[in-house]
Parts: sequence; structure tokens; C-alpha cells
Amino acid sequence: MRPLLDIADLDIVIAGRRVVRDLSLTIAPGETLALIGESGSGKSMTASAVMGLLPPGARIADHARLRFDGALLKPEDDAAMRPLRGRAMAMVFQDPMSCLNPFMTVAGQIDEALQRLGTAAAARQRHGRLLELLALVELPDPEAIAGRYPHELSGGQQQRVMLAMALAAKPRLLIADEPTSALDATVQADILALLKNLQRTLGNALLFITHDLAAAAELAHRIVVMQAGRVVERGPTAAILDDPREDYTRKLVSTRQMLATPPQASPVARVTLPKPAEPVLRIEGLVHDYPARRLFGRPFRSLNGVSLTIAPGETLGILGESGSGKSTLARLAIGLAPAAAGEISLFGTPIVGLARLDRNLRRRCQIIFQNPYGALNPRLTIEAAMREPLELLGLSGPDDRARIEAALSDVALGPEHLARYPHQLSGGQRQRVCIARALLSEPELLICDEIVSALDATVQMHVIAMLKALQARRGFAMMFVGHDIEIVRWVSDRIAVMHRGRIVEQGPAATIVEAPAESYTQRLMAAMPRRPEMTKLIIDSEALPNGAASLENH
Amino acid sequence: MAIQAVSAQEPGLGRAPSPRRHWPAGLILSCAIVLGVVAAGLTAPWLTANSPLDQDLLQLNKAPGGDFPLGTDHLGRDVFARLLYGARSTLGISLAGTAIAFAIGAGAGLLALTFGRWPAAVLFALIDLVRALPGTLLALLLIVGLGSGPGPLTLALGISFAPLVAYVTRATYRREAARDYVQAAASFCGGRLHILQRHILPNIAGALVTQAAIILPRCIVTESVLSFLGVGSSPDAPTWGRMIADSSRFVERAPHAILVPLVALVLLTLALSTIGNHLRRSLDPVRDAADRTAEDADDDQPAERARPQLATA
Amino acid sequence: MARIVAVLASLLRGLLQAAFIVMLTFFLCRVMPGDVVDVLGLEGGLTVEQQVEMRRSLGLDQSLPRQFADWAGQALHGDFGRSIRFDRPVGEMLATALPVTAKLAALSFCFGIGLALLLAIAATARPSRWLDATIDFVNTWSIAVPTFCAGVAAILVFSIWLGWLPVIGGLLVPVLVIGVDNAGQVVKSLREELREAVMLPHVRTARAKGLSPWRIAFAHVLPAAMPIVLALSGLVLGGLVAGSLTMEVLFALPGLGSLTLNAIHGRDYPIILAAVTLIAVALVAINTIVDMLHRLVDPRLA
Repeated sequence: MRPLLDIADLDIVIAGRRVVRDLSLTIAPGETLALIGESGSGKSMTASAVMGLLPPGARIADHARLRFDGALLKPEDDAAMRPLRGRAMAMVFQDPMSCLNPFMTVAGQIDEALQRLGTAAAARQRHGRLLELLALVELPDPEAIAGRYPHELSGGQQQRVMLAMALAAKPRLLIADEPTSALDATVQADILALLKNLQRTLGNALLFITHDLAAAAELAHRIVVMQAGRVVERGPTAAILDDPREDYTRKLVSTRQMLATPPQASPVARVTLPKPAEPVLRIEGLVHDYPARRLFGRPFRSLNGVSLTIAPGETLGILGESGSGKSTLARLAIGLAPAAAGEISLFGTPIVGLARLDRNLRRRCQIIFQNPYGALNPRLTIEAAMREPLELLGLSGPDDRARIEAALSDVALGPEHLARYPHQLSGGQRQRVCIARALLSEPELLICDEIVSALDATVQMHVIAMLKALQARRGFAMMFVGHDIEIVRWVSDRIAVMHRGRIVEQGPAATIVEAPAESYTQRLMAAMPRRPEMTKLIIDSEALPNGAASLENH
Repeated sequence: MAIQAVSAQEPGLGRAPSPRRHWPAGLILSCAIVLGVVAAGLTAPWLTANSPLDQDLLQLNKAPGGDFPLGTDHLGRDVFARLLYGARSTLGISLAGTAIAFAIGAGAGLLALTFGRWPAAVLFALIDLVRALPGTLLALLLIVGLGSGPGPLTLALGISFAPLVAYVTRATYRREAARDYVQAAASFCGGRLHILQRHILPNIAGALVTQAAIILPRCIVTESVLSFLGVGSSPDAPTWGRMIADSSRFVERAPHAILVPLVALVLLTLALSTIGNHLRRSLDPVRDAADRTAEDADDDQPAERARPQLATA
Repeated sequence: MARIVAVLASLLRGLLQAAFIVMLTFFLCRVMPGDVVDVLGLEGGLTVEQQVEMRRSLGLDQSLPRQFADWAGQALHGDFGRSIRFDRPVGEMLATALPVTAKLAALSFCFGIGLALLLAIAATARPSRWLDATIDFVNTWSIAVPTFCAGVAAILVFSIWLGWLPVIGGLLVPVLVIGVDNAGQVVKSLREELREAVMLPHVRTARAKGLSPWRIAFAHVLPAAMPIVLALSGLVLGGLVAGSLTMEVLFALPGLGSLTLNAIHGRDYPIILAAVTLIAVALVAINTIVDMLHRLVDPRLA
């Protein structure tokens, strides 16, 4: 059978750099192909090239041949591509909120897509088709949804509207570019299921672009793995998952394996610690409001009666979707934001109402932030950034330089990094600098606020494995805030699940993940993609948690 | 509107990382002009023997030549001498005005922002009240109240530009204060002043310097407008604006008396704004350029980068 | 409900702004060195007794807050008093001056915004070095060349050297000068905004739908750029006020600007106050309208 889409020797150049090299792939009619890669691997560029939507400045090399159903595509000729877009092929993008026109109602935007199909259908018929489409993407009450503006919909609903819009023309090829990555876990699962369902009923080919191996495994017939603009491996889904050939693919797959085996068996120093009765952190009935944004607006209650404790040496995972209040909790816990009500005691000292924490308390607790691009002042060298806590906390001494070097070597960074500026380091390196800096004062409590969320999967693993190893050596307690169930589980001893400013459930990590009691937690866990093939693969994983050094350069 | 034309022709996402070492000709010329004006102002007494104030009623509206290289104006004053001394007062008043604008706008703004919500709220509520009044009108009214002369003029210029500086200061301050490294410094027990001077000031200095370079020529222009309206600089320390204003009624008889200061003024403001634009391009986006070098490979945004910001919203 | 509250809040803020500006003007007028009686005294040789009597009849011997309260009370009833120098009702004088200024300002505004939009849209639709250079030039012009200098130059070149236009009278030159100045102030931001609007994700979605470039431009790009157009037209107002002031003086147009300036030189408070009040109320009204339009354009703000 003739392939629906046939890409041969695709080269894309941006500002003199080849972001996609010699890429060739085919998609048969009705087939789902997953294009997997980390950020910067060129997968989105490939999709944009097929649609003729490359950003300004991107060029396709002349020798590239893109064929759609046998006909040659000219991606750089907008006029030539326009008849195909929204008819033969359609696309769904990553962030539905910004991809829908905020100034138009849902009905208006879908109607635009219907109008251009050329059928001189009457407005009434189009409206009927519109409702049909909204029902097709399983939106409740299409009539009501049609009249709304995008900002009045939830993220999941927005993405369904995007899908309805893309499907308006019954395209033969649907391109989905990270369609679930901007959504919460529970919603992600729904959208993936919907995509799979639709493709089965409508029979369109699907080019599914993702960084998430599990999502790809769920949907795809075949997988193409990209790294740094090249295809490194391709094959049927099962083959890739069961028997990855290339190093890079193996790394991706084994990352998942590592997550499936939490380091429970690792000998942890905390057993030997004397156990004082006093927890390092105790929070009781904590309430926090964000002030109203307008003069007569209502304040937003981001935390509503949160209580928890963390024992010395223990890791408490805080698991929640966006907007659940987990990051606010992290900041409040060490007095970086004021509480509206409730009690927080750090090492037995109540801190609510304290104008500022004294040096001694500050030294004993540290926080690491999510975004490694923002956590280091771009104008300070790494050395200056690392000296800051020493000076401010009164720990400075003649051996500062040696201590900083030692701290860096703990996170596998050499002293040559001291003189560098943050922008000269990669995201993973910056985050490791942040860890080293936080640990300089030898804190007893480390708060990690989504510290790996902005990093690529393989780098994520490296960072958390390193963190866990450091904890085993030093015995500090951790509050590990995150939204990725597997990562939080891997790191944590106990997990507290947050939802809309409350803790809905807390308990031992394994119990929460495997036998959740509350209905919200159950839904959350059910949304986690778990494939039999994945768990089957937990064989050859000894290389990973300790083998962090092999990932050194990420 | 042909959208495709944009995508096909505009130079791209990643700008060339190599810093440009050579200075463009326009910038060199601008610097030369500004330095020339400064030098003229400083060395005026040595460059001409004539006084800028002496009137010679026998030599009205003389064309350039002879004793008067640039001619005389409608009161028989030496245009060349007035040009040189005018450079002094034009630059002096505008620089002082800019300095006052920054002392009020940036100084008070930063202090208020550093010391919490309420001082900042009060200060900016006050500034908000005068915001509806255009700067020129505000300066005009202030001069009405304060009286004319160099002192009130400078003060009026400063006050009328202060709101603008305050807004820029607040915007850049807030952008910086929201950064994680500021939070991190707070978590190391860093006080407000420490954070201000170590993290915030160095990162907003570029934006403020750029702003100063933008406001200075605008100060010169506003001063000339005020002079033209008859409330600007005093007769004994004439600025170029005053010279243009004075001669504007005699444009027919002595075009040179108006053209000379006019060309000088336009050249100076042009030069200053060219320098300002270069500053903006080279100083301000330091961070963005830095962020971009790290990120510019990311055509596919990693999934979660955008999310947790929402988590705290 | 939220919409009504927001509109009321912006109205309230506008009223506060206007009140504050008027109060500021009042006190600045009163503290200025030399009052109207001094000026008239110098001109007409009034005796000291006559001066004291005149001050009392004008109410200038009372405390400032009292004077302000009296004035504000009358002003709220539409009575702005009589000009001290011309002994005519101020309201009447304003009424003759206002149309001149309004016409000048409206024409300049339309010309300026029109020119800016034209240049920015053209440069977005068909990017060219030439257009960008034009935009840069207009922008630099408005920064570096004060409107009155442009006006003087225009008189010099067109009336005196070329002898084309009468030096005085006619709105053409003032409108061109102010309009170019206004356009220069906004054209660059407009260009940047449109450049960014073209790259917005929802515009990419529209392209992915295969819509025609025109449809994309009007239904997707322009609405996104609308807020900045509105904000910028608010900014233009400032330039408009300063521009009309100088142009009226230079071209001897009998508008609000000339009236105010003459009043300032003659210390004729009632006129200064009334004129500034009028300008302040007009600016605040326009700002409030722009704010409401902004809310109307963007459903997210409603």
C-alpha cells in the first residue's frame, strides 16, 4: 500500500544549525506513528515542516522530498500548502490555552474550519455538524460549550475543542504535537484514550509527537526515536520497548525501569540516626490566601487546612496537579511566604508570625526551585552564587573555596565550573549547582519544589538518583514536591496527595500508589500509564541509580 | 496581510551568538557629536571672545561672516557665542532634569518597592493621579507655580519625567523580584537591602541606564518646547531651545539665527537617541540572550516547563 | 456584575485623577510668584489701596482651601467665573477656543494613527528593509525633532523659500507636523506588537486550519494586537496636547493652547484653571473610554 506520508532526507536548518538531519519516515493510511524525543530533538520541527508551518528563519534543504499520498509537498510555499491544511491534514498543538483564539467563541472557531471546506452548507447545517463534532470529542453539553470563550473552559476541554476543530474536515492525517504535555495527569489519560478511540473510529493516520515513552506505547503502532535531529531507532512499538538496540533508546527505556523500582533496598543512613521525638517540620491547619487581584475581588484560597509532619531523615512526597497548592506549601514551609492561619514549626520553633527566620533556622532548612533557568542570578558566577549562602548564613571561613569545590564534586561537577556563568551550563548542570548550593549549609531539611520538572527524562533520573544518594550519605529530611507520580514515588518514603489546597490522602508511598483509598487518588493513579510491557522490563536496571556518572554530560 | 511572507523572509529565532565587536558608523558619529557638544560647552570662553548676552543694536540680523562667524540675531547677539554657551546650559539643565527624574522615580520607587507593599502602593497611587496629565503640560503648570529660572525649570523637567521612570523601575523590579534566585537569597537569610543591591540592582541597571539615555533627549526637547512657550530657561543662560524660540518670529529676516540652534538641537537629540537605542539593544537583553543560548535548541518545549507557574497562581 | 464593578472602578479612578489635577493646578496658580493684581498694577499703575480693594473683591485675601472650595462649588454648577483681564465669562471664551483645538487634535490624531497603522501593517505583511527604515526614521524624527522646530522649518521652507503656503492660517501644516510626531511615537511599538502577534500560537492554529491570509489577519492577528493599539492611542494623547499647544502658538490659531498660554503670562487664573480642568477631564474621559474598549475587545477581561 502506498504510504500516506513519505518523508525522505528531511534537513531543517535554523540560523546555520541543522536541527533535523536526514530524516526519513513513512506513515501508512490509518497507522499511528509515534515520534519520540527530548526537547531539542527536532520532532516538533518535523511536524511543522509537514504542515508547512515552520517558524520564520527555518529552511528546508533542497534535497528533501516530502510526499503526501504520492503528491510532492512544498512546505515553504504557503499558497500551495493552504488547500491541504485543514482538509487532508490537520494538527493539534501542545498548549491548547494559547492555541485557541481568546477573542472568539468555540463555535466561531470551529465554524471557521467548517466554512472553508467549501461545501456551501447553510449556517444551520454547519451548526449541526459543529454540535456533532463537539459530541464526537466527548464534550458534555455541546450546545453550552459552543457558546463559550476558550478561557471559560478547562485545559482538557480546550484540547477537545482543538481536536474537534482538527477533525472538522475528516483529515486523512492528524498530527498531534505533544497534545497532552500541558495537561494534568488525569486529563492526559482521558485525552490519550480519546485520541486512540477517534483514530479507531475515523481511521485517520496519526503522527503522534511526544517526549513520553509511556504515552507513545499506549497509542502507537510504530515508534521512531529522535535525538539531536537524527533518527536513532525505529520499529514496531513492542520491539522498541522490549528490545531497544541503540544506547539512547535503552537509556530512555531504562529510565522508566528505574522508576519502577524505588530504591527501597538501598541502605539508608537514617536508621542509625538517633530519633528525637521532634519532627523537623510540623504543619497544622495551614491556610494561605493569594490577595485579590482587583479592588473588590475575592482572595484565592490556595491552601486550606493542610497538616503534615516530616521526621528527621524522612522523605515526604507532595503529589498534586497544577493549581493544587503544592508549591505554595513548599514556600510557606520555610517562611518565604506568610500564612493566613495555622501553625508551622520548624525544628520545634513556631515560625508563623515571625517577621523573618533567624540564621540558625535558615541554615537548617533549604529550598531548591523548579526552574533551573531562574534559580541562579545570570550576572553571578557559579562561585559567587555559591559563596552567597556561606556569607549570609555566617558560615564563611578561610576554607570556603575548598568547601564549595567539595560540594560541587558531590554533584559530579568539577572545579572548572566555578568561574562559569549560569548560561554556560545546561539545565541539568544548573539544577545540580542549586542542589550543591542548598547542601552547603548542611541542612537537616531540604525542600525540593518540582526540581526536575523542567528537565528531560534522562536528566531527571540522573538528578534524582544523585539527590537520593546524597540523602543516603547525609541523612537530611526532604519534602519532595512534584506532579509526576513515578518520580515522587521513587524518591519518597511517604506521600501526601494534594488537591485544591487540601491534602486528600497521605501514607506510605507504596500504599498511596498501589492501594489508594480516596477516590481522587484512585483517579490520579489510574491515569498513570502503566503497561505490562513496562513492568516486564525491570530486569537489566542495575546500571542506573548508581550509574549516574554515565549520564554525566547532561 | 501575507503571513507567509513573514515566515519566509525574516531572520530567525536564534540570533548569532557572537557579540559584535565593531561599532557601527552611526554610533561612532553620535558619540562624536555628543562629545563635541560637551567639549563646546566646557571650553566656550576659550573658543570665542564674544559674550552670548551682549546686544549690539547696530548689528541686527547680520548674516554669517566677519566678526560673527554665524551671524547675529534680532538683538544683535553673536549666534556663535550663544551656540557655545547654549550647549552648556542645554546639557546642564537636561542632565540635571534627568538626574532629578531618576532620583525621584527610580530612587523613591526602589525604596518603596523594597520596603513592602504599602509604601509602594501609596507612592504609585500618587504617581497614578498625575499620570493622566501629559508631561509637557505638567512641566508647564509646575513652572507656573515654581516661577521661572534654571532651578524651577530643572525641577519641573525632573518631576514631569519622574512618573515614567517610576513605572519602568517598578516593571523591571517586579520582573526581577519574581525570580527564583531572589527567593533563594531570601531563604539564605538575605535581607531586603542585600537582595536589592546584590540581585535586583545589577539586573535592572541596564534597563535604567537605557531609560536614562532615552529620557535625556526627551528632556532637551521638552525644555526647548517650554522655552518656545515662553516659560523655559532664563534670558541670562540661554539654551538652544530658547534661541530657536526667540528667533522664531524673525525667521524671515534672519533664517541663520534659527537654523543654527535648530540643527544643533536636532543633531544632539538624534545622537543621544541613537546612543540610547544602542544601549537598549546591548544592555537590556543580556538575560534574554543568555536564556536563549541555553534554550534555543528547544523547539519542542518540554512538557512541564510551563506548568508549575500555574500551580502558584 | 464584575464588569460593572470594573467599569465603576475605572470611572472612579478617572474622577480622582481629574480632581487631583485640578487641585494641583489651583494651588500651583496660587503660589506662583506675582498674581494678577501685581501684573495689572505694573501695567495700569494701580495704587496700593486699589490693589488691596481688587484683591478683596476677587477673594484673593482668603485662605487657599476656602478659595478652592468656592471656585469648585461654582465650577460644579458650570460657572467658571469671569476672566480678570478681559472681563468676559470664561465659559464663553472656552467655547470659542475649543472647536479650533478639537478640530486640530482630531485631525492630527486620525492622520497620525492612520499613518502608524499603515506603516506597521505594511511592514508586517511585506517585510522590507525600506519600510523598516521608514519606520525607524519616523520614530527617530518624533524623538529628536520638537514639533515647533518642524513647524518653524516648514514655515521657513514652504512659505519663505518656496512661497507655497501662507505662513499663517490653514490647518494643513500643523496637522501634518503633529500627525507625524504622533505616528513616530507609536509606530515602532505597533510594528513590534504585530510582529509578535503574527507568531502567536493561535495564529499558527489558524494557519493550520488553512484559512486565507486575509481572514487570519483580520480575525486572528488584529484582535490580538488591539489592546496595544488602544493603549498606544492613549499615549498619543499626551503628544497631542503638547503638539497643539506649540502649533497654536506658532501658527496663531485661537485655540485652547493659545488661550491658556496667554492666561499664564497674564496670571489670569480663572482661564488657566478652567482650561486645565477641561483638558484634564477630556484626557481622563478618553482614558476611561479606552479602558472600557479594552475590556470590550478582550472577553478575558470582561
